[in-house]
Amino acid sequence: MKILAIETSCDDTCAAVLDNDKILSNIISSQTDLHSKWGGVVPDIAKRAHTERIDAVIAEALLRSKFLISNFQFLKNKEEKVNKIIEEGMKEIDVIGVTLGPGLAIALGIGVNKAKELAIKYNKKLVAVNHIEGHIWANFLKNKNGKPERNLEFPALALTVSGGHTKIILISNNQFLNQNPSVLRTAPLDEREQYLGQNTSKSPSVMPLSPLSKGEAKTQSPPTPSLTRGGIEQKPIYTVVGETLDDAAGEALDKAAKMLGLGYPGGPIIERLAQTGDKNYLDLPHPLADKKILDYSFSGLKTSFYYKVKDWPKEKIYQNLNNLAATFQNSVFETLLRKYKLAIERYQPKTLLASGGVLANLEIRKRLRKLAKEVDLPIFMPTQKKLNTDNAAMIGRVAYNKALLEEYVGDVDSLDRDPRLSLS
Amino acid sequence: MRLLRRFTPRNDVINGSVSERNNIVIITAMQILDIKDNYNQIIKQTAELILDGGLVVFPSDTVYILAVDPTNEKGVKKLLEFKNRWTGKAISVAVLNKKMAEDFVTLNENSRGIYKNLLPGPFTIVSEGKHKVAPGIEAENGTLGIRIPDNKYIHDLVELVGRPITATSANLSGRTPNYSIQSFLRPLSKKKMEMIDLIVDAGKLPRNKPSTVIDATESEIKILRRGDLITGKTTNLISKSEKETEKIAEFLLSKSLSGQNPPTLRAPSLEKGGLKTKHKPLVFLLSGDLGCGKTVFSRKIGHLLGVKEKITSPTYMIYNEYLISPNPSLIRGEQNLEQNPPTLWAPSLEKGGLKMFLHMDLYKITSEKDLEEIKFLTLFSEDTVSCIEWPEQMGENFLDKLKEKTRVVSVNFEYVDEETREIRY
Repeated sequence: MKILAIETSCDDTCAAVLDNDKILSNIISSQTDLHSKWGGVVPDIAKRAHTERIDAVIAEALLRSKFLISNFQFLKNKEEKVNKIIEEGMKEIDVIGVTLGPGLAIALGIGVNKAKELAIKYNKKLVAVNHIEGHIWANFLKNKNGKPERNLEFPALALTVSGGHTKIILISNNQFLNQNPSVLRTAPLDEREQYLGQNTSKSPSVMPLSPLSKGEAKTQSPPTPSLTRGGIEQKPIYTVVGETLDDAAGEALDKAAKMLGLGYPGGPIIERLAQTGDKNYLDLPHPLADKKILDYSFSGLKTSFYYKVKDWPKEKIYQNLNNLAATFQNSVFETLLRKYKLAIERYQPKTLLASGGVLANLEIRKRLRKLAKEVDLPIFMPTQKKLNTDNAAMIGRVAYNKALLEEYVGDVDSLDRDPRLSLS
Repeated sequence: MRLLRRFTPRNDVINGSVSERNNIVIITAMQILDIKDNYNQIIKQTAELILDGGLVVFPSDTVYILAVDPTNEKGVKKLLEFKNRWTGKAISVAVLNKKMAEDFVTLNENSRGIYKNLLPGPFTIVSEGKHKVAPGIEAENGTLGIRIPDNKYIHDLVELVGRPITATSANLSGRTPNYSIQSFLRPLSKKKMEMIDLIVDAGKLPRNKPSTVIDATESEIKILRRGDLITGKTTNLISKSEKETEKIAEFLLSKSLSGQNPPTLRAPSLEKGGLKTKHKPLVFLLSGDLGCGKTVFSRKIGHLLGVKEKITSPTYMIYNEYLISPNPSLIRGEQNLEQNPPTLWAPSLEKGGLKMFLHMDLYKITSEKDLEEIKFLTLFSEDTVSCIEWPEQMGENFLDKLKEKTRVVSVNFEYVDEETREIRY
C-alpha cells in the first residue's frame, strides 16, 4: 500500500510517501533546501506560508520516493514541473493521510484542503489523522529496508513532549479495558486544575485517580494482543492520563532560552550549554509535586527561574549560562520523568514509548533509557532526529493503521480541519 | 401586619415574629420581597419607601446594604439608630453616575481619574462633601464616600429614586457583612427588626468582599479599606496572588462588556433593538514580563465566558479557539438571576451573542507576513472575546488596524516584588 501523507498543523509544511510502514520519502519544509530547487520559498521569513509551499513539498516527496519513471528535467517552468510530478506520482498512491488536528486552524486548513482536492481529483481513499497519534506512531516507522522491527504490547504508556504538547497517554484496547474498568477513572478537570497555584506542600483533599493496585494488575489475563508485523489487529484506545495544565515542556525550554538572551527556538542551545553546567546551581521548585497528580505545570517553574535571574548583572548571567541552562533543563526533565514514573507504577504498562520534539535532546533520551531499565520495560523512541519533530511520515504511519482497519473518510467533501481535535 | 409573598418558611430565622399559614409567611411590620417575583413593581415600591424616609435592606454588587435617602433626616436618623453608629464616621452613598456624584462632592483630579477608570466597580471613593446630605452621612471632617456599583438593581433603584441612596453594608456596627438575608436577620433583636421597612431578597449573593475604600481627597491616594480590588494609582490595580489576578480579570471583563456608562434597560432605544448597533469585538491586549499573570488572566476570562475545556498556553499554536456555551451565571452578580430581569453589564451574553473565546500568543510571530499568513485580522468577529499575549510582536501597523476593527483594552502587567503585580489598564 502506497501512502501520501500531508501534515501542516503548525510551522512546517510536510509531506511523505510510505510503502506500508516503510518511509520512502519524508520532506519537512524548513529542513529541506526547497528554495534553491523550486524558488520562491524563503523558510525563515515566511515561516508559516504553507499555501506557497505545499505543492512543491508534495512534489518533492513524490519525486524522492523514487517510484516515478518519467524524467522531468526537460520541464523548465517550475509550476508545470510541480504539477506534472504530482499528476504522475498520484497514479502510484493508494491512500492519502492528512492531519486533521490539533493545531493552528489556518495551517491545518491548507493541508486538509489539499488532501481533499487530491483525493477527489485522483479518486483516492482519504484518512484523517490526529497529530498526537502521529507522534506516538513515529516510533513504529521503518526505513526502506524494513528496519527497525518493533512490537507494541498493550497496554503501553506514551510520553509525548514537544513545543506544543506534554502528555502521558495510556494506549490499550477494548479487551484490556474490559478487564480493567477502573483504569480510566480520571478526576474532572476542575478538580485537577485547583492544584495550580496551590502550595505544593499541602496535600489535596480529593484524589484524582485511583491507582491500579499491584494485585489488580497481575490478574490481567495474558495474552494481550500486540501489534504484529506490519499491521494492527485491533483499534488502539488512547487515554490521556496526564498532561500540562499550562505551558508545554518544550515551550518552557524555549522561553528559558529567550530569558537568557539565547534566541528562539532555544531547546537545542539549552541542551548544548547544559552539558558543561552544574544542574544544582539554583534551587527551583518542583511543580505539582503531589504524588496523586499526573499532570504537569511548567509555568511556575519558568516564572520562578525568571525572577531568580532577573536582577542579575549581565556578566553574571553570561558567566553562568551553562549552569543556568543545566539547572533549568534538569528541573524540566526531572518533572517529566517523575510523573512518567508515577504513571508507570500506576498503570503497569508492558511497553514504554516516548516521542516529540524534545526527544531530540540526548539528555532526556539517556534518562528515559535509565528509567526503563529501572522498571525493566522496553522503551521505544524515534530512531531518526527528523521523526521527533513534526513530520508527515508519522501521519502516514497512522494512516496505514487506519487503512488496515478501513477507517476512511466517508464524505470527503465535508471533511473539515479540527484545531482542537482530542485524542480519545 | 402585612401579607407576604409565597415563601419557604423562614421561622427558623426570624424567631417569634413569624407565623405560617399555607406557606404564606406573615411578619410584623417588616416585609420581605423576592426580587425575582415582580421586578419593576418591587423597585418602584422600594423607591417610594426610600423617598418616604424608609429603611430598606437591598442587594448590591458586594454585600446586602442598608438603603435610605441620605437627604431625608427621618431616614438617616433611622439608619444611624439601626447601625448603632455615632455620627462622625461617613456613610457611603450610591449614585447613578459622575454627574450625580458632583451634586454631592467636589471631585479633584485624583478622583476624576478614579471615576473614569474604576467606576462602576467595587470601590468607594471618598471626596470633599458639599454638605447637601442629612447630618450623620458625611464624616466629621466633611468628607463623603461615593459608590457607583456595577449592579443592575442599584442602578435601577437609584435612577428611580432620582437621588443617591445610602450604601452602607447591612450589618450592625462592628459585625461582619452579610451575603444572605438569613445571616443578616439572625442576630437581630425584635426591636431592630421592627425598624426595617422592607427587605428585598435576591438570595445568596456571590461572596465579593465589601468595596475597597479609597481616600482621594489628597494628592496621594490612600486605601482606607481593602476589598477585592486594590488600586495603586488611578488606573492601577495591585494583585498579590493568582486569585487576586483572577478577581481583576473578572472586574475588567464585566466592565468591558458593559462599557463605561451602562445604558439603562428601560431606554426606548434599547427596547427597539438598540442593542443591535454593532458591537465591536472585545480584545484584551496583555503585555508585560514573563510570569506576571497574563495566562492566569486569560484563563479566568475564558472560564468566565463559559469555556469548559482546559485553557493551556497557546504559544506553540499561536492561537487557540474555544467555543463557549453562554453561561451568564458566571458574570458577577448574576448568580441569582436565572430568568429575569436581564443583566446590564453583558448585553451580548444575554442574547447568547458570544460564541468564541480566542486565546492568542504572538510570541512566535516574527513578521507582518506571519500575521497575514494566519489571516490575523479576520479572526476577530463580533461574537468573539479575545486575549492576546505578547501584543508587542504585532507592530504598530497591525495594532492600528486592530484598533480600528475591535475594542481594545490594554492591560499591562508589571512585577513589583515576588508576590505583587501591578496591573495597569
